[in-house]
Amino acid sequence: MPSNEVIQGLGLDDYKFGFVTDSEPVFRTRPGLDADIVRQISARKDEPEWMLKRRLKALKIYEAKPMPKWGGDLSELQETLDQTYFYVKPQEQMERSWDDVPDSIKETFERLGIPEAERKILAGVGAQYDSEMVYHSLKEEWEAKGVIFDSIEDGLKNHPELFRKHFGTVIPAADNKFAALNSAVWSGGSFVYIPPGVRLDTPLQAYFRVNQERLGQFERTLIIAGEGSRAHYIEGCTAPVYSTDSFHSGVIEIVVERDAYFRYTTIQNWSNNMYNLVTQRALVRQGAHMEWLDGNLGSKLTMKYPSCYLMGEGAHGDILSIAYAGDGQHQDTGGKVIHVAPNTSSSIVSKSISKGTGRSSYRGLCKVYDGATNAKSNVECDALLINETSRTDTFPYIEIDERSASIGHEATVSKVGDEQLFYLMSRGMDEAEAMALIVRGFIEPIAKELPLEYAVELNRLIELEMEGSVG
Amino acid sequence: MSRIATSPGAASAEAIAPETERRGMAPAAQTGNLAPDPEWLTRRRAEAWAIQRATPFPSTRSEEWRYTDLARILPLDDLLPRGSGRPRVDGARGGAVHLPESVRCAIARDDDCAGRVIEMNGAVVSVELDPELASRGVVLDSLRRAAHTDPRVRAHLATEAVPATDGKFPALNAALWTDGVFLRVPRNVDIERPIRLNRWISRSGPATFSRILVLAEEHSRVSLVEEIQSPDLDRATLAHAAVELYARGGARVRYLSLQRLGHGAAWIANQRTLAEADSTLDTLNVALGGSFHRVDLNARLLGAGANSDMLGLYFGDEDQHFDFNTSQDHVAPHARSDLLYKGALDGAARGVFRGIIRVHEGAQRTDAYQTNRNLLLSEGAVATSLPNLEIGADDVRCSHGATVGQLDAEALFYLMSRGMSRERAERLVVTGFLGEVLGRLPFADVTGKVTREIETKLRATRTLRKTG
Repeated sequence: MPSNEVIQGLGLDDYKFGFVTDSEPVFRTRPGLDADIVRQISARKDEPEWMLKRRLKALKIYEAKPMPKWGGDLSELQETLDQTYFYVKPQEQMERSWDDVPDSIKETFERLGIPEAERKILAGVGAQYDSEMVYHSLKEEWEAKGVIFDSIEDGLKNHPELFRKHFGTVIPAADNKFAALNSAVWSGGSFVYIPPGVRLDTPLQAYFRVNQERLGQFERTLIIAGEGSRAHYIEGCTAPVYSTDSFHSGVIEIVVERDAYFRYTTIQNWSNNMYNLVTQRALVRQGAHMEWLDGNLGSKLTMKYPSCYLMGEGAHGDILSIAYAGDGQHQDTGGKVIHVAPNTSSSIVSKSISKGTGRSSYRGLCKVYDGATNAKSNVECDALLINETSRTDTFPYIEIDERSASIGHEATVSKVGDEQLFYLMSRGMDEAEAMALIVRGFIEPIAKELPLEYAVELNRLIELEMEGSVG
Repeated sequence: MSRIATSPGAASAEAIAPETERRGMAPAAQTGNLAPDPEWLTRRRAEAWAIQRATPFPSTRSEEWRYTDLARILPLDDLLPRGSGRPRVDGARGGAVHLPESVRCAIARDDDCAGRVIEMNGAVVSVELDPELASRGVVLDSLRRAAHTDPRVRAHLATEAVPATDGKFPALNAALWTDGVFLRVPRNVDIERPIRLNRWISRSGPATFSRILVLAEEHSRVSLVEEIQSPDLDRATLAHAAVELYARGGARVRYLSLQRLGHGAAWIANQRTLAEADSTLDTLNVALGGSFHRVDLNARLLGAGANSDMLGLYFGDEDQHFDFNTSQDHVAPHARSDLLYKGALDGAARGVFRGIIRVHEGAQRTDAYQTNRNLLLSEGAVATSLPNLEIGADDVRCSHGATVGQLDAEALFYLMSRGMSRERAERLVVTGFLGEVLGRLPFADVTGKVTREIETKLRATRTLRKTG
């Protein structure tokens, strides 16, 4: 067992992005939530009547649903919600050019380490500052291909038919309490449409940032990947550290049409006072392939289970999940695969690391409906425990109504072995280096899946969390 | 076995006064040819009754009953005893016991044993024990009688192992149990041959509640084999058992439960094993019969060196519903538990397995394993598997695995290419699948019984499918 100093020395807990920049919001609602606030949000966004009605209906569902009793500890959440500003609008206008972005906001991005040169290389950068898209750009050649990468608000304004056809179909408001909440107060997020047959080689990126104390961020993203298209969307979050609890509840809906391929990558690094309760779901049609790459490093409590509904024959779903729980953190994450059609296949690989008093829980569902013949699914969960006080759980649900299904689940729990440390140290490494190498090796199967383009920001983030200051 | 000592047990179980029951009061002390309950037991029943009344019936809203809608399986009103359906004993009033044909058959197939208890409709009608063992201080008796005679019953009954506070059924049982088995093995006494318990439910009607309490003192060894049977019943009828197994330091205890109830019967058991340092406490649950089978099994590893092997085997067909809810609690460091539940499901049968390994804080050097494997033999069969882990210590070796699959087509093809009929090849592959558990059964006669029953069931469903 490595000494405590060595573990501290790894710097796993240092939160690198805990800073606050001053920026005055233009408009925000009063704390708390009622129908009046929902009306204000809708009016501010100049929304059509049907959307306001949906919001109000969702609010009723939210109020009627009880607080979940499973998963993480939500006993203090209501208090947080009562103090939450459900809508903050930082700027009146959408910025089209980088030069117009206010300096204070630019500074935030600078400090997150996205160099301007990088932004030009990266295809589309939708940067979310507080609750609205403030910076949004898309490469011209993509626009020519018909790709839409807009803020969710502009998606509703500019593409009303497409928007209305899909919005809320993957995750209806009644799905769960927090999906209902998001459906009532959503603000910000992305609207993405990839036309049939279009293939994007560079990923679409959105950057999210919460920068207002007691700000609830309810981003809503709707993605439609047209038939035979191919694309990758990346979302990453960091947030400044605050003393009071903060709250984030996003809803991500994805439709992967026939034979399309879509990958959605999230690296979540909220500050350690954040409740992060997110619903992410993809409908995967015939022959299509959906991949979730889900990294959870930050937050106080995350409850997030990206899911693939394999609706068409031959559809495939992959979920790669990595969780890091440091002192006081609880990562309740995992994935769901629902096999509805024949010859569908899926795989879930989950890796978690618990350190100090951290707790990581894998929670997953593999469901095979009657008639989904020859469905195949494999689930693997590995947990690494760093300290005596660390905790890990595995809660897989396996529900099989189909005889010809072939389903496997395996999980292991281990600690960093003295023998492993000894071996590496006998090769001349010091304890911290050895420890870092073992931890890196443990997450490598998932870390290597991160795209090179994104490495500048996200790989660095992971490395900082996992590796820390070696030596 | 040779009939060595016969003691006609607690022949009657005129247990519960229905009127007080109806008024929602605690069941009164019993009548019949037994003395009324001792005062401590009456009080304990009353407390349990109060808990029972305050506890709602399990519903699918609770995690532990999520996949089993009890209200649809059992008429819950029938669960509580009523005037007309009081547990009674057929033809056993102190004299010779008239055993039903199927019980006699089951006994005839048993190898030699060290003792036998026969319980009918919740009342012990016969207790036999090798006098040599009795002379060495082994106690095997009707639980009702032992409650009067052995102070250890008071100390251990429904206290630490299956107390009324555990839930609706533990509470109902603690209030309403009519009889059961008390087995105590003194220090260093090693009983090689098993003790057997035959249970019989004769007809449909209100629920029966019985209990098993086993106290194995330091470095003793004992095996208890329970076999429960009934004819086919015309409506859902519950038999409930609370099973409390104590293994003191270094003791070795084995408990096998073989459920061969008839159609319509519902079996619910709450079992807890308490394994102290260096003890071995193994359990095996075999579910073959009945319409509904639910076992809540909690293994607690309380001392270093404790070990629990937990085996389960089920074969379901028609509309049978099996539900296993297991937990392995590693309270002490340096203990080991290994669970393997395997089942085949045919017809419209449903199998639910929910297991959890809990490694408590400080239980370092734990070895805990959990495996559930399901074979689906028909289109209508459904399997649900929830193997969970909760790990609160870092220096542990824990793993779990679950699989659901169908018959291996290649194995079938291989056997059929050797001239075997499909039916026979299927039987062979299924038996081979279950063989991993069957092979670990300690008693050849039990293995034989289980294998025969499975083959009969397989043959029945295969033939049905061919003709239907």
